[in-house]
Amino acid sequence: MSGRNNKSKSGVDTSRRGFLTAGLAGGAALAATGMARANGDPLITEIQDWNRYLGDGVDAAPYGMPSEFEAHVVRRDVPWLTADPVSSVNFTPLHELDGIITPNGLCFERHHGGVAEIDPADHRLMIHGLVERPLVFTMQDLMRFPRENRIYFLECAANSGMEWRGSQLNGCQFTHGMVHCVVYTGVPLKYLLDEAGVKTSGKWLLAEGADAAAMTRSIPIEKALEDCLVAFKMNGEALRPEQGYPVRLVVPGWEGNMWIKWLRRLEVGDEPWGQREETSKYTDLLANGQARRHTWAMEVKSVITSPSPQAPIAHGPGRTVITGLAWSGNGRIDRVDVSLDGGRNWRPARIDGPSISKALHRFYLDIDWDGSEMLLQSRAMDETGMIQPMKDELRAARGENSIYHNNGIQTWHVNGDGVAENVEVS
Amino acid sequence: MSKFLKAGVVVAAVVGSAVIADIAESAEIAEGEKVFRKCAACHTVGEDAKSRVGPHLNDLFGRTAGTVDGFKYSAAMVAAGEGGLAWDEQSLTQFLVKPREVVSGTKMAFAGLRKSVDVANVLAYLKTFDADMAATVATDEAPEEASAAAETEETPAQPAELPSADHDGPMKLGRLATEDEIAAWDIDIRPDGLGLPPGRGTVAQGEPIYTDNCAVCHGDFGEGIGRWPVLAGGQDTLTNERPIKTVGSYWPYLSTVYDYIRRAMPFGNARSLTDDEVYALTAYVLYLNDIVDDEEFELSPDNFTEIGMPNEDNFIPDTRPAEEHYAEKTEPCMSDCKPGPVKITMRAQVLDVTPDGDEEGGGAID
Ligand code: HEC
Ligand code: HEC
Repeated sequence: MSGRNNKSKSGVDTSRRGFLTAGLAGGAALAATGMARANGDPLITEIQDWNRYLGDGVDAAPYGMPSEFEAHVVRRDVPWLTADPVSSVNFTPLHELDGIITPNGLCFERHHGGVAEIDPADHRLMIHGLVERPLVFTMQDLMRFPRENRIYFLECAANSGMEWRGSQLNGCQFTHGMVHCVVYTGVPLKYLLDEAGVKTSGKWLLAEGADAAAMTRSIPIEKALEDCLVAFKMNGEALRPEQGYPVRLVVPGWEGNMWIKWLRRLEVGDEPWGQREETSKYTDLLANGQARRHTWAMEVKSVITSPSPQAPIAHGPGRTVITGLAWSGNGRIDRVDVSLDGGRNWRPARIDGPSISKALHRFYLDIDWDGSEMLLQSRAMDETGMIQPMKDELRAARGENSIYHNNGIQTWHVNGDGVAENVEVS
Repeated sequence: MSKFLKAGVVVAAVVGSAVIADIAESAEIAEGEKVFRKCAACHTVGEDAKSRVGPHLNDLFGRTAGTVDGFKYSAAMVAAGEGGLAWDEQSLTQFLVKPREVVSGTKMAFAGLRKSVDVANVLAYLKTFDADMAATVATDEAPEEASAAAETEETPAQPAELPSADHDGPMKLGRLATEDEIAAWDIDIRPDGLGLPPGRGTVAQGEPIYTDNCAVCHGDFGEGIGRWPVLAGGQDTLTNERPIKTVGSYWPYLSTVYDYIRRAMPFGNARSLTDDEVYALTAYVLYLNDIVDDEEFELSPDNFTEIGMPNEDNFIPDTRPAEEHYAEKTEPCMSDCKPGPVKITMRAQVLDVTPDGDEEGGGAID
């Protein structure tokens, strides 16, 4: 106990060098516990300030924020990835989270023209093209359609994209943090399309955002009618501006770029539009120079979030919890296996919490760690029988210039001090 | 503590009789912060401001034009400064409305602010990053002036109230869109040319427009400055270790070039180009990529779909499910899945590009 407290009081060092030395800090904490036992832990034997003086009243935080001791749990970006922070990305701190729901303020951000700031009273959604009645909706109109609540993961197609050529980034926040999972409240897109009346010649839908990138994607009409939502709430509250406030498209199981934010226009047509984000970007270049396009679905994937480079084992040998996330754009996760020896031998992990189609799944493996080195891997299998491939299998099939859709098995090397590193194995 | 007065602090510092003026003032600053987003692709302000595409704009008032240390100005801006141009309320107002008329030959690729209230607001905002002006900012202006500025601010046009059921959709929600409304937003263009607006433009016309509006980021030859996107070249590199994907080497359709420039470029000033200018720019990007070689080549709806892009045939459907590792769908192996102990073949530490290192990495996201 005292170990944990000392650590947070002294401020957690979140720098990479910090992660690497955290194993040592853990050792120091153990020593402190021993001392506390001899004299009696002062945190128990002495009266603490928070036990004596009054805390903040109910008017101190009209919108509550996390504890100051959680200040290190934030989205982070990788400045060298892009030319400008206005068209860039930051990453969800997966290593600090548990369960399957991502808090709104920690959902990674990716936008191409900055965060549009739109007063809902000024927002309009237009449906036109091959429809019986071209329509305009206000936010108020949208709120009058029947609503549904659904939990889905959203993953950027470029998540893990920096790892195609080998291990680059030390931390699952950076290797896997372009994913989040929240409960959306919204109107099934089908109701809006029915309101406008899609003509039988209507086979494709173009969705467009109101931001400075006027982001656009073509979506086949079957998907639009099957399970897409036009959402205005996440985790019960209004969408965050960076997630498309006041309204965004939800395209379950498919790449995040298609989930158009600040959604303002839906055009029905009979062919795809070949927009920049489905030609220049979000096409997967293969080794032979050909490129796959319309690679919409996110494949079966998993990662161990702790221990991981930013979350080393700080307590020494003994009882420990290995945990991680698994997901698939095809449906539910059936099973997750964990290997401690780099993929030679596997044992099934325990999936805990709800198992929802196209949502994150949380898994655990509770072990007695003997303090020896580990090569940790997780391997997910979804309800359609798809098994998460090894990175080398993906490279054999696709080459190394694909950028998108890297769902290969991740390896963390954990040394005897509990320090973890991103590695590739034979 | 910041040496700059932040918008929020201004309100807190308000006392007594200046209250009304100050509330208007802080509204101006807040509005100005929004206007500044139009500048933020190129300029920064505040504690950590650095010169980027444009010079930093801290302590702007009283600055002689073209004098931020270490920033490479155009010859025209330096000359203007040497000729006595210094930045104050008046000269900035003129410059921000018509940059190229005040400093002919400036390399600031920005069309100018159209609304005078935007200019007033952005200047109020910039004053908060000016060590000299910040002290006076709260008492400087007469209340009348400040509230007049607030009043002229345009409220978004309210569409005429229409009866809620002007159509017979199943739920009778929303209203019919007018033809003008659809035309205003329907700017997408398809590979078969559907959606192309009337208009025309030549390579030769495109060149100066490109030099003024695009070259700061994309480079004179489309080679890309720093990490801004490369627009030209890269032909025959798609099977290389480091392929260069450009309009010429990768893009399958010309329609995408027109559509994208019109919808999103120049970055930070989208929708500012005329349809003719976009034809001329599209022709010029073709020229930079050696897809056309005649400077008099004119692009218009008449010949648009005749232009084939070199890489069009190299796009194939999604064949991932057929990949070997998926196709099997057998039970996964549980023990002795690899022969002998597993070895580490690569470590992130070797490359060490995790943020908070100063190193630049070799990866990319798009
Ligand atoms: C596309 C990039 C871009 C945008 C957008 C832009 N600027 Fe500039 N700005 C520049 C460049 C480049 C220069 C240097 C011009 C030169 O050397 O001719 C400059 C120069 C200036 C100067 C002169 C500074 C000095 O040191 O003399 C001011 C003032 C200025 N900009 C203000 C603004 C404001 C305010 C906005 C937004 C309303 C804006 N700019 C938008 C690129 C930009
Ligand atoms: C302030 C810098 C800047 C200026 C000025 C600018 N661009 Fe861009 N351009 C960008 C950025 C940033 C992107 C990528 C945006 C994104 O991430 O979605 C881009 C993307 C593009 C692309 C797509 C590149 C690709 O490979 O996908 C084209 C084409 C383009 N710009 C053309 C132009 C033209 C033509 C102009 C002048 C009218 C222009 N740009 C002005 C910054 C700029």
